Amino acid sequence: MKRAVLSLFLIGVLAFAVVASGCVSKEETTPTTSEQPTETETTPAKLIWVSSQLNPPEERAFVEEVILPLFKKETGIDVEFVPMSHDQILTRLKAEVESGKVTIDLVTEGEVAMRELAEAGLLMNLDGMPALTGRTFIPKFVEYGKMNGNQKFLPFLSGTYIMIINKKAFDYLPDGLTKEDVIKGTDKWTYDAFLAWAKKLKEETGSPKVGFPAGVKGLFVRFLHGFMYPAFTGSQVKNFDSPEAVQMWEYLKELWPYVHPASTTWDAIGEPMLREEVWIGWDHIARFKDALFEKPDQFVVVPVPAGPKGRGFIAGFVGVGIPKGAPHSEAAWKLVDFLTRPDIQVKFVERGFLPAVKEASEALPEGPAKILATGVTNQLTTPDALNVLIPGLGEKGGAFKDVYRESFKRIVLENEDMNKVLKEEAERLRALFKEAGWSGELP
Amino acid sequence: MKWKSFLPYFLILPALAYLVFFIAYPLTQSFILIFKESDIQVLKVLTDRNFLMALKYTLALAVAIIPIQVALALILAVIMNKGFKGRDLALYALIIPLIISDVAGGLIWYSILAPYGFLNKVLINIGILDSPIYFFGYQFRNMEFLAIVLAELWRLTAPVFVMILAGLQMISKDYIEAAEVFGATYWIKLRRIIFPLLKPTLQTVLLIRTIWSMQIFGIVWVLAGRDIPVLAGEAYYQMTELKNYGVASIYVLVIATLSILLGALYLKFLKAEYLEVKT
Amino acid sequence: MSEEIKRKLKQTIFYTLIFIVVSWVLIPLIISALYAFASSSEYYNPNRIIPHSFTVSHIKTVLITLGALKGIKNSILVALLTITISFILGVPAGYSLAKFVFPLRDSIKLSIVGLKVFPLAIMAVPLVKLYIRLRLIDTLLGVALAHTVIALPYVIFITSSIFVGIPKEYEEAAMVFGLTRFGSFLRITLPLALPGLAAAAMFTFVMSWNEVFMAAVLTLHNRTLPAQILSLLAGATGGATPAYYKFAAAFIMILPAMLFVFFARKYLITMWGISLK
Repeated sequence: MKRAVLSLFLIGVLAFAVVASGCVSKEETTPTTSEQPTETETTPAKLIWVSSQLNPPEERAFVEEVILPLFKKETGIDVEFVPMSHDQILTRLKAEVESGKVTIDLVTEGEVAMRELAEAGLLMNLDGMPALTGRTFIPKFVEYGKMNGNQKFLPFLSGTYIMIINKKAFDYLPDGLTKEDVIKGTDKWTYDAFLAWAKKLKEETGSPKVGFPAGVKGLFVRFLHGFMYPAFTGSQVKNFDSPEAVQMWEYLKELWPYVHPASTTWDAIGEPMLREEVWIGWDHIARFKDALFEKPDQFVVVPVPAGPKGRGFIAGFVGVGIPKGAPHSEAAWKLVDFLTRPDIQVKFVERGFLPAVKEASEALPEGPAKILATGVTNQLTTPDALNVLIPGLGEKGGAFKDVYRESFKRIVLENEDMNKVLKEEAERLRALFKEAGWSGELP
Repeated sequence: MKWKSFLPYFLILPALAYLVFFIAYPLTQSFILIFKESDIQVLKVLTDRNFLMALKYTLALAVAIIPIQVALALILAVIMNKGFKGRDLALYALIIPLIISDVAGGLIWYSILAPYGFLNKVLINIGILDSPIYFFGYQFRNMEFLAIVLAELWRLTAPVFVMILAGLQMISKDYIEAAEVFGATYWIKLRRIIFPLLKPTLQTVLLIRTIWSMQIFGIVWVLAGRDIPVLAGEAYYQMTELKNYGVASIYVLVIATLSILLGALYLKFLKAEYLEVKT
Repeated sequence: MSEEIKRKLKQTIFYTLIFIVVSWVLIPLIISALYAFASSSEYYNPNRIIPHSFTVSHIKTVLITLGALKGIKNSILVALLTITISFILGVPAGYSLAKFVFPLRDSIKLSIVGLKVFPLAIMAVPLVKLYIRLRLIDTLLGVALAHTVIALPYVIFITSSIFVGIPKEYEEAAMVFGLTRFGSFLRITLPLALPGLAAAAMFTFVMSWNEVFMAAVLTLHNRTLPAQILSLLAGATGGATPAYYKFAAAFIMILPAMLFVFFARKYLITMWGISLK
């Protein structure tokens, strides 16, 4: 008897599940049966916006509860915001485009990831779309989104990497360096001063108080090629194995004992700083923003130190693009227009994001957003600012990072012979650029 | 009857067909594509430093964890097999880690072992320590190894325990009662009746557990990043960061080969033939 | 020492051991639950071991803002579907591997082992294209089928080892009494195999419940729970999410699965007094 009940139950469950999933699939096949991506469409049912950015709960809530309803009010178009990691986006988009049945209308990812999508042939050309007026995009970013003369993606938000300081650390400043120097990024705020500060912090507090996101998914590698290399050698790649580079690596070796050892497991510096495990940190603003909003009175955002050749830093951005063969490209473009319009960009700025259009940089309300923006502005405007962009290598981007990661591991962590490592890795680096078809000078 | 001898094949056919359709076919497609496009020297990959480290650590973790875990699970299962007051609740408690995914497990243990995590906070506040014990960081790779072992012992003993308990429960009471009639003590019952009858279960348990350990990935990444490279983690890195699909495939094939080899070993040494029907 | 005291001593030691083991299991879970509910200022306070003030806002944010409620429903559906399909396919296969000796048996076993080790991620793109062609994309049935692929080898192996443990005499005795092979399977073998089946069902449920990559790639709407909220734990901006959200997400992931296991565990212990004579 019990068995009969059990088997009936199982059959019931199975039937129910099949029916339920059938209903679900029916719901979803209706919008996707409009397979011709022609432009003769009235207001579509829903746009699908896939994004690897703006995923943390509060940011996502901001998009879904503030931004998208405004869009709907203006245009009547519904948008579904789907957070996905880069791997998932790449997989899904590739499969969709290759099988000709695209359902995604809009993609936003970091600029390097967007280039990868573009190189894989997954994004449509935006040149033919109606012009976006009333705004000035940051030209360098627009240029980055071009491939073979075609505009593949536009900048949506900008971002950079900065240093964050817990105010407690200012009690341990080394001689010759004042708080003002650090905040304004004067010529006293150098890497040598930074080393002295880190040393003092460790010696007087008993443990290292400087942290870097050197974990697997951490962005420390950007610090190496986009900050240290330009600051010490004047460029990211060109002088990889020059004598100046040797000086740089020596510096890093000297610095590392004063850096918190768990850095190699941190993917972001926000949490360790909030936990006060470290008092000085470096990371991309996106990885730190929520921490800043959590305790705005505790932190100060400052420019990075300067090296012998200048104050190297990376300016990056979040790009927005439309997949090739997207079902509702016209409506998607309306969303692009909306998101990059100055008044909407200001809304993002108020929440601590950095805009991609110049008109929105003016409005800076008080609070954590202002702290962030001030620090970034200071970094951008010091007289020795050395702004670089991450080289657009598409697929080879990962291999590019690996060269710097491996170099760091071998030289600083494992103490291998520096010249040997630099020679080997430089070879790998140059071969990489060649394989990626890089034309012109190395960055 | 002729058709009867085909029965086993009929029974297994749907499952095999399903697996072929959904795995074998796309898999071979992928492999053909990958190996056609890239010219990787297999030997170069197999002698690469990172690969050898990954191999070493994967095996080391397996050796460190599995024996302890299986022994622990065995003891627990034998204990839980008897009835006692409160067994039901204890059983439930023991099963719960089953539910925890590897990433969640890593997260939990990271927060316990972090420099200002639970363990250190408690020890410092009690006064046993002055400064925190570091479990994480490249210089502390041995501690990271320990952290991974602890986390995996905590998390994966549950499924092993469940499988062994299920196997124990299956052993017919008749055998045990018969032994008691002949005056067997607890230990003799254990050694001569239960363990032999448990062999098929143990075989499966070891097989599954070893296969899992060859694929260990998420928990290592959360706790140790790439400080402790493992085969699956490196394969993932090769595939997603370096886009070296060929190299990643080789890593995966190594995992597969290791699993099959170990599987074959288990099958050979833990056979329990007397319970099968010979057609 | 008298017998009575010896017995009591043994009992105490026994219960102490049990207590230690159970706490070893439960304490990390309790801690993470505490963190999930801790207010953010408490969580970051270096001097607090156990948070003093609690809030449900993290849980609420994850549940509602991130649509976790819908995700729970979808995940349960997918998990149940996966169990059903993989059992229908896998139990006969397990039986066949257990009860019959036929040529190719060991090679089939090994090839199933071999197939089990390939992470779906390595063939994700061809797999998704396959799904698109079969019109299974964006459906829960599709996700269940993908999960079945993962679950099937385990179901086959576990049920096979369970069936091996059931003496053939029982089945043969039943057949002597007029039952067909299938009949004896249903009435004798299956009930005896209940603990093993329960174990396999538990594993399948948990695996499907936690599976994130295929679920996230195969569905854009009506996603399962991990697809909805696990971008918090991993992924590009995963680093940026405050830890208490991660704990809240983990807590939500764990709770329904705990309920399922609670119900399934009864089957893990055979009912006393099943007698065949």
